[in-house]
Amino acid sequence: MRFTIIACLIIGVLINYAAGVDPTNFKTCEQSSFCRRSRKVQSTGSKYAIIRGTVNTYSDSLTADLINKENHHQFTLKLEALVGSTFRLQIDEKQPLRPRYRVEHALKDEPKTTRIRVQESDELSITVGTSKAVIHGDPFRIDFYENDVLVVAVNAKNWLYFEHLRQKAKAPAEPADGGDDAQQQQQENAEAAQPAGETVDDPGAWEENFKSHHDSKPNGPEAVALDFSFPATEVLFGIPEHADSFALKSTSGTEPYRLYNLDVFEYILDSKMALYGSVPVIYGHGPERTAGVYWQNAAETWVDIYTAETNVVSSLVNFVSGSRKSTPPSAHFISESGIVDAFIMLGPKPMDVFKQYAALTGTHPLPQLFSLGYHQCRWNYNDERDVTSVSAKFDEYNIPMDTMWLDIEYTNGKRYFTWDKFKFPEPLTMIKNLTELGRHLVIIIDPHIKRDTSYFFHNDCTENGYYVKTREGNDYEGWCWPGPASYPDFFNPVVRDYYASQYQLSKFNTVTEDVMLWNDMNEPSVFNGPEVTAAKDLVHYGNWEHRDVHNLYGHMNIMGTFEGLQQRDPNQRPFILTRAHFAGSQRYAAIWTGDNMAEWAHLQYSIKMCLTEAVAGFSFCGADVAGFFGNPDSELVERWYQTGAFLPFFRAHAHIDTKRREPWLFSERTREIIKEAVKIRYSYLPLWYTSFYELEKTGAPVIRPMLTHYPLDKETFSIDNQLLVQQRLLVRPVMQQGVSKVDVYFPAVDDKKNGDYWYDVETFQRQERTGYESIPVNEHKIPVWQRGGSIVPKKERPRRASTLMLNDPYTLVICLDRQGKAAGTLYLDDEKSYAYRDGKHIHVNYEFAENQLTNRFIGKPNYKSDAWLERIIIAGLERVPSSATITVNGISQQLEVEQRNGAVVVRKPSIKMDVDFAVKLNA
Amino acid sequence: MHTQFIRLALIAYALIVAVVYGDKDNNIRRPRGVSLAKAALYQPQSDGSWSCLDGSKRIPFVQINDDYCDCADGSDEPGTAACVQMRFHCINQGHQPLDIYSSHVQDGICDCCDGSDELPAVGCANTCLELGAAAAIQRRSEAELHKRGAERRQEMITRGKQLKADRVARRSELQARIKEQESLKAEKEQLKTNAEALETEALEVYREQQRELDANTAQAEQEPQQMRHEASLSFVRFDANKDGFVEITELMIDMDLDKDRNGVVTVEEAKYFLDERERVDLDAFVTLAWPRIKPLKMLADGLFQPPQTEEQAATEAPLANEQQEAQLEIDPPTNEHEDLEDEEEHYDDEEDEEEEPDVGVGEALPEFEATTETTTTTPNYDPETQRLIEQANGARQALEEVERQLREIEHEVKEIEEQDAKDYGVNEEWAMLDGECYTFEDREYVYTLCPFDRVSQKPKNGGAETTLGRWDQWFGEGDNKYTRQKYAQGAACWNGPQRSALVNIRCAVEPKITAVSEPNRCEYSYDFETPAACDSDALAATARAHDEL
Repeated sequence: MRFTIIACLIIGVLINYAAGVDPTNFKTCEQSSFCRRSRKVQSTGSKYAIIRGTVNTYSDSLTADLINKENHHQFTLKLEALVGSTFRLQIDEKQPLRPRYRVEHALKDEPKTTRIRVQESDELSITVGTSKAVIHGDPFRIDFYENDVLVVAVNAKNWLYFEHLRQKAKAPAEPADGGDDAQQQQQENAEAAQPAGETVDDPGAWEENFKSHHDSKPNGPEAVALDFSFPATEVLFGIPEHADSFALKSTSGTEPYRLYNLDVFEYILDSKMALYGSVPVIYGHGPERTAGVYWQNAAETWVDIYTAETNVVSSLVNFVSGSRKSTPPSAHFISESGIVDAFIMLGPKPMDVFKQYAALTGTHPLPQLFSLGYHQCRWNYNDERDVTSVSAKFDEYNIPMDTMWLDIEYTNGKRYFTWDKFKFPEPLTMIKNLTELGRHLVIIIDPHIKRDTSYFFHNDCTENGYYVKTREGNDYEGWCWPGPASYPDFFNPVVRDYYASQYQLSKFNTVTEDVMLWNDMNEPSVFNGPEVTAAKDLVHYGNWEHRDVHNLYGHMNIMGTFEGLQQRDPNQRPFILTRAHFAGSQRYAAIWTGDNMAEWAHLQYSIKMCLTEAVAGFSFCGADVAGFFGNPDSELVERWYQTGAFLPFFRAHAHIDTKRREPWLFSERTREIIKEAVKIRYSYLPLWYTSFYELEKTGAPVIRPMLTHYPLDKETFSIDNQLLVQQRLLVRPVMQQGVSKVDVYFPAVDDKKNGDYWYDVETFQRQERTGYESIPVNEHKIPVWQRGGSIVPKKERPRRASTLMLNDPYTLVICLDRQGKAAGTLYLDDEKSYAYRDGKHIHVNYEFAENQLTNRFIGKPNYKSDAWLERIIIAGLERVPSSATITVNGISQQLEVEQRNGAVVVRKPSIKMDVDFAVKLNA
Repeated sequence: MHTQFIRLALIAYALIVAVVYGDKDNNIRRPRGVSLAKAALYQPQSDGSWSCLDGSKRIPFVQINDDYCDCADGSDEPGTAACVQMRFHCINQGHQPLDIYSSHVQDGICDCCDGSDELPAVGCANTCLELGAAAAIQRRSEAELHKRGAERRQEMITRGKQLKADRVARRSELQARIKEQESLKAEKEQLKTNAEALETEALEVYREQQRELDANTAQAEQEPQQMRHEASLSFVRFDANKDGFVEITELMIDMDLDKDRNGVVTVEEAKYFLDERERVDLDAFVTLAWPRIKPLKMLADGLFQPPQTEEQAATEAPLANEQQEAQLEIDPPTNEHEDLEDEEEHYDDEEDEEEEPDVGVGEALPEFEATTETTTTTPNYDPETQRLIEQANGARQALEEVERQLREIEHEVKEIEEQDAKDYGVNEEWAMLDGECYTFEDREYVYTLCPFDRVSQKPKNGGAETTLGRWDQWFGEGDNKYTRQKYAQGAACWNGPQRSALVNIRCAVEPKITAVSEPNRCEYSYDFETPAACDSDALAATARAHDEL
């Protein structure tokens, strides 16, 4: 979350912290023993081969033994075919000294396998539908084809690197306990004396130091690394979380991208440094093909990226050699421990791959509607009076707001599940004040537990051995907000159950079932730990080292929270916000981009980062509106609200040292612009809600990079300052200071520069050309277009909270394509419970053609809503109709039609949402 | 289909029924949500049509409140939520009428006490009578409070006016004295000039001898000049707002002056350097403040050296006019640590002295000169020369004494002017608060409010007092100017702004602080009660305005 002055003093890096993060507090690849070892293979290559005669084929898979031809260590390989053009490749040691860690809980369930056809001619191949894997024995390599196009090649560069587990070499003269440099040197020498291949020639192989921290590394070297090439593609993206562009950059000559969940204070932009979350999924995209690889490994991971970036040398080489084909983009995944467990997803289109990934790790379940509204947070709302009066001010200024948040200061001395009784003597009354207005409260509960013998949670954890342990078997003690703190071992199901049970209202009786949760600092953040996190040689449930599971810690934390909230109220969908995340965490929680800064560049990165997160499963993503650190000027506040209104998670948040910035504290102009932005957000809630339902059903991201629907248009590949909401809206917020116009890219659907029509959502002015257009903007303008051919459901009566809009009427906005057609869905239900899973919902597709709007229900409309259709807006008609006729069950009525603001409005169809109807425009 | 249309028809019917209703008292029929004042605007034309209030459109009268927004200005839907920019008028009979946002209409939350903003199904209770009664009681007790408070306030007004009159009188008295002193000064200047002319003449004899004095002496002679020069430069540096005065706040930002090295230059510390004054002009700065500041600046610059031993003093700078100056120079220290300690002791002593009563303007000066005299080694003059020198010294001292008194008077005039500049209210009712201090304790701190002066905070478990702000201005909005005060330019927050505070003032019979909070980092909020705020006339005016609604 953030460091206070005190925390800074504690870790003694005051000066560095004053000017943003000091990168030297975090490791480089070179400073990380396994990374530098594994990276070396990029120059030497490795020699792995399948042992002849060990190949076995099964109905859905194939196994073989693999040998490292240099040290003759043997491995087993398993290649499975999964439903949905996906293969799973696992490589482990054949006879490991100890079991190696295999990631649990990331996949949503055991992936479904599918039947394969095996062909053995010159080479071995297995085929499923249009997908094919061709296995090469020596050197080992697997080529994956989609419809006969090579899309992913595994180990094409021979960068497979698998450090088998081994006994620590004994020094000739056993050194005394301890480890000064001389002794270390001795040990290394001793190791060097081992037979070739048994040694890993690196001083950090059996122990390493970073800053003042020592990592004992009892298991020695155990890295795994493998390269993946994407021959049919031109751009790589994915592997969040980094504050970087959407398109991944070549790491040739620079640091690799790092995946290691860390609490980075005032993170820097345009950086490959690790942040709070790690999602090891990467995609390659080209006009014809899109493919992906999910590298399932929870240990610290570095990813080297090689893209065919046109540099002078390579283009010269290509020119001279006459080769037009440059090296395909590739990624080299390097993990500290575990096994090779890679899922190869073959697309072929961007949306196919996103859905293939969603089929593996799941999607965010449909959230309660309120969580898509506007959230008001600050570190901290000081007391009950503060909370209640901020809520009242939103009503005074008629600005919608759904959720008030309480950061750490509400607790009794950072003891979670307790309240500061002085500032919050009657939390239930305060909560009631909010819920009576249709609002919600979210409170923070972090995973660091105050070591205080008068704190029940600490005592329970101590007595029952629930804490993460040191190597010596003692409870690990770190330093965080409460001071000395320990960390529950959420990997232990018993601990998770204990933690989950704390949410029961019988135990935590100072909240209600409407109070939702925020899990922060769950990387975990340890102020005095190496790189501000837990030591790698700590021990978790099942005797796994923290090294093996680090990137999953936050995931296990939110699993427990989710379980707790579901148990607390089985018929209410939990809302959880988490900072740390791993593949699959989207099944439990929304995320935000952590402790950003009130700067224009950070505003721009909010979109880049959330787009990457969205394609990696985390559609429910947002950034702290107006920036966590620092004091934004009013223009930045205005633009940030306008941008935040079009990212899925829309929350204002600010550091405790910043000036208060609730909307009414600014000038009237700024307040009005904020209000407009929030109201626009509320008017589009039916679209957001429908999108999230369709995300749950299909895995299609809610927000999408342009290339998703315009895969042929190469210009879109690198665009990350505009986004699509489903395939309906194109959003290009103003994210620069003092501009009077923005350049917006209208993409082409083919290679002949044909594009969709785009209608300005405010003026219905139509863009017909593709390419960049300079769009004039004033301070009120949020440049948003609706795609011609789409229908967007809206509710144009924003209220003080979204929960109060349940029965309000809908507006359908129809924007016609070149053929005068359009279509779009609407989803609705009770917006809160799980009844929708029993079919208590309405999912409807609207279609407009031949001057007539009709609806078609997807499944049976099985939810009784008082909401009704109040108006239909149609843009792109050639003539204004004289009237319209609505027909329901053969009975017709005339409806008035009027022209308004560049579009045609059909007045008051007044039908319920579960009724079949047709509205015909009359000439 | 039929059922659908029928249900909608029913809804429409219910709405139409609700469209027009009569008010029991006023009996003027008007659409739901329209105030009596606007009733006339909602009448159908003879053809059953009606024009939007902005004239933008003509619609059938029955489309008023039909839950669909037809008019661009929203005027056709005063009683529903259909037009986002509309207001709904609650009659709230028995209590106050209220206009609410249309977004609050039919949202399931009872906003009007008569429940008129929600459909009957929501079941809003009509609480207007109770609320009205409670409000009446509240108003009565408030009126009572104001009445009782107003008596006190009247006393405060009387006293405040008296204070003002006293200031006027005192000021004209002082101005008269300034005139006297100025002519006295001219007289003394003349005497001094005459005496010095004689002295110069007599000393001519000793010039040669004088010239023979070594470089040290020459330097020493320049020192008073130098000191004044240095002091003036520092004055300019300190006087950040260029008003010709160095003020406490201007010193508080200079960490060199953090005597106790606790990281904060407190008001008390700053005051010490200003001879316990709020501010000093250039003269006072040179003579009073600079001698105190300079050692610390030198210490900060690494120039400070230990006090000399007596032997050293005797051998060096025999003519030093400024012993202190001399002490601050040359001689490498033998033990830095010790030196520092010595220096601290030295200042402790001074501080003690300063705490004694009767230390007034210019006190330091004669003391200073006394020191000078005792340490000055004079050559042996003949008796006549000696007499002339003494005469000249006497004339100089007499002039200085007059000048000192003049400065004292001018200082007092300035203080009066400052007080006059403070806004003590239309009737001087706030004047009496200037000079008072009030405290408030919460869990951790004791908060102090000294109206028109400063606000501060002191941790209960020990620790230094922190200034949260100094008097800045009245800060109430519009007609309520005298309901809020602002104190600004308090001690700076670590890595943040200077602290400040707002004091919200309410009427009560007894003055007291009722709450203090920090809604914003380093921005404090006080709730303060005083009879000075009890204005029963104003309250009555508000009440009348209220009744007219």
